[in-house]
This record gives sequence, structure tokens and C-alpha cells, in this order.
Amino acid sequence: MFVIPKEREVPFAGVTPAPVGAQRMMITGNWRTYRPVINHEECNLCMNCVIFCPDACWQLNEAEDEVVWNYEFCKGCLVCMNECTTNALTKAHELDFEGGVVRLEKLF
Amino acid sequence: MGKEVTLSGTAAASQAVKMARVDVICSFPIRPYTAVMMELSKMVANGELDAEFVHGEGEHAQLSVCYGASAAGARTFTGSSGVGVTYAFETYSPISGARLPVQMMIADRTLDPPGDFGSEHTDAMSCRDQGWLMGWAETPQEAFDNHLINYRVGEDPRVMLPQFVCQDGYFVSHLPGKVKLPDQAQVDDFLPPYKPPHPLDPKKPVSHGPQIRPDQGVIMDLQRAQAFLDVPKVIREVIDDYNRIFGRNYSPFVEEYQTDDAEVVFFIQGAHALTARNAIRHLRAKGLKIGLVKLRFVRPFPTEEVAAVLSKFKAVGVVETSTSYGGAMRGGNLLHEVRAALYDAPSRPLTTSFMAGMGGEVIRLEEFYWMAEMLAAAVKSGKVGKYVYWVGFEAAA
Amino acid sequence: MAVAVKTQNLPGMKKIRDIPKEEYYLPGHRTCAGCGPALQYKLVAKAAGPNTIFIGPTGCMYVANSSYLCTPYAVPWIHAQITNGGAVASGIEAAYQVLIRKGKWEGELPNVIVMAGDGGSVDIGLQAMSAMMYRGHDALFICYDNESYANTGIQTSPTTPYGSNTTFTPPGPAVPEGKKLFPKDPPQLVIGGHPAVKYVATASVAYPVDLMNKVRKGLNVQGPTFLHIHAPCPKGWKFDESKTIDLAKLAIHTGMWILYEWDNGQYKYQHKPREYKPVGEYLKLQQRFAHLTEEHIARIQAFVDAKLKAPGIPVAVPVPPPQAVA
Repeated sequence: MFVIPKEREVPFAGVTPAPVGAQRMMITGNWRTYRPVINHEECNLCMNCVIFCPDACWQLNEAEDEVVWNYEFCKGCLVCMNECTTNALTKAHELDFEGGVVRLEKLF
Repeated sequence: MGKEVTLSGTAAASQAVKMARVDVICSFPIRPYTAVMMELSKMVANGELDAEFVHGEGEHAQLSVCYGASAAGARTFTGSSGVGVTYAFETYSPISGARLPVQMMIADRTLDPPGDFGSEHTDAMSCRDQGWLMGWAETPQEAFDNHLINYRVGEDPRVMLPQFVCQDGYFVSHLPGKVKLPDQAQVDDFLPPYKPPHPLDPKKPVSHGPQIRPDQGVIMDLQRAQAFLDVPKVIREVIDDYNRIFGRNYSPFVEEYQTDDAEVVFFIQGAHALTARNAIRHLRAKGLKIGLVKLRFVRPFPTEEVAAVLSKFKAVGVVETSTSYGGAMRGGNLLHEVRAALYDAPSRPLTTSFMAGMGGEVIRLEEFYWMAEMLAAAVKSGKVGKYVYWVGFEAAA
Repeated sequence: MAVAVKTQNLPGMKKIRDIPKEEYYLPGHRTCAGCGPALQYKLVAKAAGPNTIFIGPTGCMYVANSSYLCTPYAVPWIHAQITNGGAVASGIEAAYQVLIRKGKWEGELPNVIVMAGDGGSVDIGLQAMSAMMYRGHDALFICYDNESYANTGIQTSPTTPYGSNTTFTPPGPAVPEGKKLFPKDPPQLVIGGHPAVKYVATASVAYPVDLMNKVRKGLNVQGPTFLHIHAPCPKGWKFDESKTIDLAKLAIHTGMWILYEWDNGQYKYQHKPREYKPVGEYLKLQQRFAHLTEEHIARIQAFVDAKLKAPGIPVAVPVPPPQAVA
């Protein structure tokens, strides 16, 4: 028998389980330099952002009747902002440099 | 139970595949294996066999279709010969690494260039590094039995490996021999249904084969390395079972013929062993103490068994019908494996390789007598004249 | 021996609000930001639903999606070689036919969908694709067209447009246009000669409802079907990644991409522009065409004009004869 450290194990024949909800082994939120920012007042729920995001990072919260952004996976491509039919979506720098201090909008 | 019929190797194979209740067959014509597919298509057409008969667009496609079907949970069968075997080469490692027990019959054939329909083992032997089980049949009976044995070994959860079930083109594939066909009930007793651990099933979604990093690649390799260490045990169990259920007398890895007091032996796999046996009977009558050791599986190579058996003799003539140009002994590849197996043996025979039957020629009795002379001379002088003899083309000693 | 016949009837959608919210292509994949092929994958998976098996020949939608040892697919998926997407799909479909018939698996015949790039569809994968179409397997073959072998670093493929700068067709004094060859027409390859095929369509990420409807139609129709989906590639075509949809729309508005269905012999066009914009508008937004001269652009325009000349009847477009360089 060979000695394979637990952290290096590979599933049998490279068969992996299907993810549920999201693929947490490939977090992509740390790719972006800009993030989309939504103004819910302006949003007309046209759903363009939901449909056109290649990473499914906008989803409709039916209970609250507003679209919700996935900060863990958004790559900051800004296709959503480009396709927004109103002025609801703008962009903000991912790292907010103000007064020489790095301030994160939201703790990762 | 069962009945005895006269069948060619390809017809015998088709009977085995039918009785194995195969699910998906993928065909493409190339001589000399094609006959097995013609037989199977007749069985499907007349309702004898319930299977999907898929007309592949080429050998690479045949293997690819079986890869998908096996992953979806189907027992699969395909086959080829010669350059068809090498055309499909890209698929062999993916199938083996995905641990899909696809079964491929190879009725071997000399590789191009140019077209040569005659038998040579080179086509299949070229694939021996790809992680498949591999072995040759000597007769249509053995071909029939090997197909069933390989399904059972390959699909065993401890193994989960694809299999090349080989037979000499023409000499076995087309020449008839007696085959004892069992009852379907006996085969069902021996061969349980195929149950892969993670089939492609919308009810239980999985991903087969995501991209990996190099540090993960080595672990994938280790999985198969471990599997090949585990295979011999499974083969022994399965052969025991097979002998018991079907009344045969196979030894799992090496078969000995007239070796009890032999000083020299022929070491051979495949059809020409039949001629060798004839030659041995004649040579024995003339007083030479000669026997035959026949190899049933070349992958996994039964290193311990081969070393144990061959170290009993003074000289071993490895009769090869395949080429490995530029290889260590400049001949075929069986000699390399034999010498590697014998390297640490306490008693090592003289070994030499006889390239015979090349291009698909018959190995004549006279040629076996000549080989025996070479072996006897080696024993007398204490060393082999050459490591590789191209039989029939050597200058007179 | 009965062949499993699909009885599903995935309903068509009229508007974006009709689009089901369940995702089967989940967040968490290593595709580029703004990736067109990733977007079409999401839409296809959404349209197909849970009773689906994807086959992924090697390419961006294999390597980028599954690095490393993880995938974003909520449905079963299997890797295929770039050479054999059609063959592996054929095997899976054949397996399900026999497993259902033998009572070893119960349920509606799953959607079997090949997700092949342009190379895996009409270049190295052409043989397997054509054979799947010929044999009549009940499966959908999708060619996601990002107009290059993108995963290996943007090399030319048979669908790369004339005049593209790729790493195998760099422009230079000896070859001013970069790519000299005009592209293959994948849907026409299929329509021309596969009697078992009853539905072929083109689609684009520009019009997601149309795309998803065509996926559903392709899955509802019995037998093999083919979809050619335009999927702009910000990295390969060299444009700002937020403009993926703009590029896709402009391709349609200039005639560089035509949306149509071929349904049992009948051609039907979608989103036909009332007026076509000159191809230059589309080309100038992509750095891969930055080296083109007016003459090159004119050749592209001629190619597109010839294609548009007979709406409703696609013609085999002869390659414009080389013009003498002044």
C-alpha cells in the first residue's frame, strides 16, 4: 500500500460530487478590481443583470422583490452594469483608497 | 450442461459476449476481427441479444462510444486489429484512468506499413503501458473463456479496469476449434451485473474527470498502480471460480506442458503454442527434454510466477511475434519482461528470443526444431549464441 | 425492441421573466470575467433542467470550468477528448436506451448535451459530431463558438473570421491580413447531409430567451439536433470584458452572425435587423482586427453581403478572389 497524505487524496478515478448552490472550491470574488453597486430605488427588475451574468451572481430575492449580489463569486466583469436598463447599477473600486488608507466596503 | 460446437475464435468470442449480456456494442470493420461484429449484429437482429449495436465511425470512436456507455452504467464490448488498435490509442489511458471496465477484443494483425493482414502481436503489445489488462488465447475455447473471465475480473470493485482480450489473427480468429458452450444459467452464476460506483445518472449527479494539477496527477497514477498490485489476487479467485463452475482446468497466469523434467522450454503466448506442443511431442520422442510454458496474462505480468517456473530450467526460448525496434535486446518485448522477472531469481536460466511467425507467417514445426537445437546448443556450451534470432533468416551456425 | 422516446415537452419562454430561476451551472468556475461561453453554458443548463447529462470535450468549457478537481455543474457531467464529444455522447445515449429498455434505469430519457467548442465541433471533433448526427442518437450537439482554440492561448480554428489576429495567424508583411482563410459554416455542414437531423439553429448570448427556447426545442425534438451559439471571448477577441453582450448584438446587426432555425426543412429567421450596419462597426471594437486595412474590411463586407443576399435560402458562399496587392 502507498502512503498518501490525507490532504493530497484524490477521489476514485477523479470522480467528484456535483456542487450544490455554488462550487466553493473555486472562489472567484477575489479576482475583481471593480464591483457593481446597486441602487434599488432605480432598479426596475428588468432581470438583465440576473440573465447576463456568466457567473450567476445576481439572483432575484422574490420575498424582498429585489436582486441580490453574490460578493463571494463576482469577478467584476461589469456586464451587468453595461446591460442595466436604468441607472441602477454603477461601479465602485474594490479597494477604496481614501486618505491613503485601504478600506474594504465589506469584510471578505 | 451446455453443448460442444465447432467455432472460430471470433465466433467463440461473440458467443461469450452474448452470454455476458452485453449492453452496448460499437463496431467498425477491419480485418481480421470484423467477424465477431458480424456475428453479434446477427444476434441483435434476430432478437437473440438485447444490446445497442452502434456503428462507430472509426476505431477511435468505437472506444469513445464505449467510454461514454460504460460511464453511464452499460456493459460494453468493442474490438479491432492492427492499425485500428493504434488509431484508437488516444482513448486507452482516459478509459483506464476513469476506471471503466470496457472490454476490447483484439484479433491481432501486423501494423502498417503497408497493409498486411497477417497476425503479429505488436498492435496490442504497443498498448501495454496504457493500464489495461491484456492476455492471449491459444484456441477458440480459450478465447471464449477469456472474454467471460475478463468481464468478471475487470468489473470487480477491487479492479475496475478495462481489458484487451487478444487472439491471434487468422490462426485463432478464423480457424475452427472445439468449444464447450455453457448454459446461460452457469454464466449468470459466474458473472454478476455491472455496477459502477458512480454512474452518470441525473438522480445522483457527479462530475467525471475534472481538470487536475500535476500534484493531483501523481495520485491518479498511484490509484492505478495500486490497482495493478491488487489484480493478481482477483485473477486467482476468478479462475478458481471459473474452473469450478465450467469444469475447466486453467491455471491463472502460466500454463506448463511437459515441464516436469524439462531442461529447456519454449516460452510463448497465443496460437503458436499449439504448434509448439506438437513440436515438443516430436522432440521428446527424439530424447530432448523440452517443455512449454505458456503465458496467459501479459498485463499484469505475473512476475513471481514466471520467475518461479522458469528458474527450474537451464534455457528458455522466448518465442515472440512482436517487434520492439531498438529495445534493450533488439527483438520483441517479451524477452525484456522475462529477463526482468528473472533478474533476482536464485537460479537464472539462459534466455534468448526467437522472432517467429512475424508478418503473419505460420511457425513451422521445422522452425521449432531449429529453435530447440539452438537451446540445446546453448545448454551444452553454457551460453546463448545470440539474444535474438530471427528464425529462418539466421546464417548457418 | 422499443426505443426510449422522449415525452418531455420543455415549454418555450416569451420573456425574461419566464426564465426559470434554478441554476444548474453554478458560480465558482475559473472562466474569464465576462466569458461568453460561460454565459451560454449557464443559459443552456437552465433551459435543459435537472434531467440532463453534459459531455465536455477538452476546451475552455472543460479546463476553465473544472480547474482543479471541481466543477460548477449541478447535473452529471463527463470529460471527453476534444476529438470525440459526439462519440462519447452517442455511447451515453445508447447506454440509456438499453438500460431503460432492460428495466435497469427508470425515468424519462435524460437530455444528453455535448458542449463542444468550435474546434471540437467542426475541426478535430468533426468526425465524431457528424457520426452522431448520422446515427440518429437522441442528443443535442452544441457548438459554442468563440472563434478560436481559446483554451490553448487563442489559435486559429475553422470558425475564426478572415483577418483575425491569432497566435497561429499573426499579421506581418508576408501575411498582412493575419488569417487568410474564410470560415466554415457549422450549421450548413449539418443541414446539408444528415437525414436523421430535423432541427438545427444558431443562437447568441445577445438574445438569451431566444437561445433558451432553441435549446428546449432541440431537446424536445426526437433525434440528433445541432445548435451553433455565438459566444464572444473578451480575451481572444481583445475587447473590454463588460462589452460581451454589446459585441454579440453588433455581430447580429452587422450580419457577421445570423440568427435562424432550420426546422424540418423550413428556414425561419430571428432578430433580423431592419438595416444592417457596416461590418467595420463590429470589427473596430476588437483588437484582433486592429491590423486590417480598408481592403481587408471590404473583403469581409463582401463575404457578409453575399450571405445576406438570399434571406431564407442560405447559399454556399464562394470565397472572394484574392485581389492584387497594390
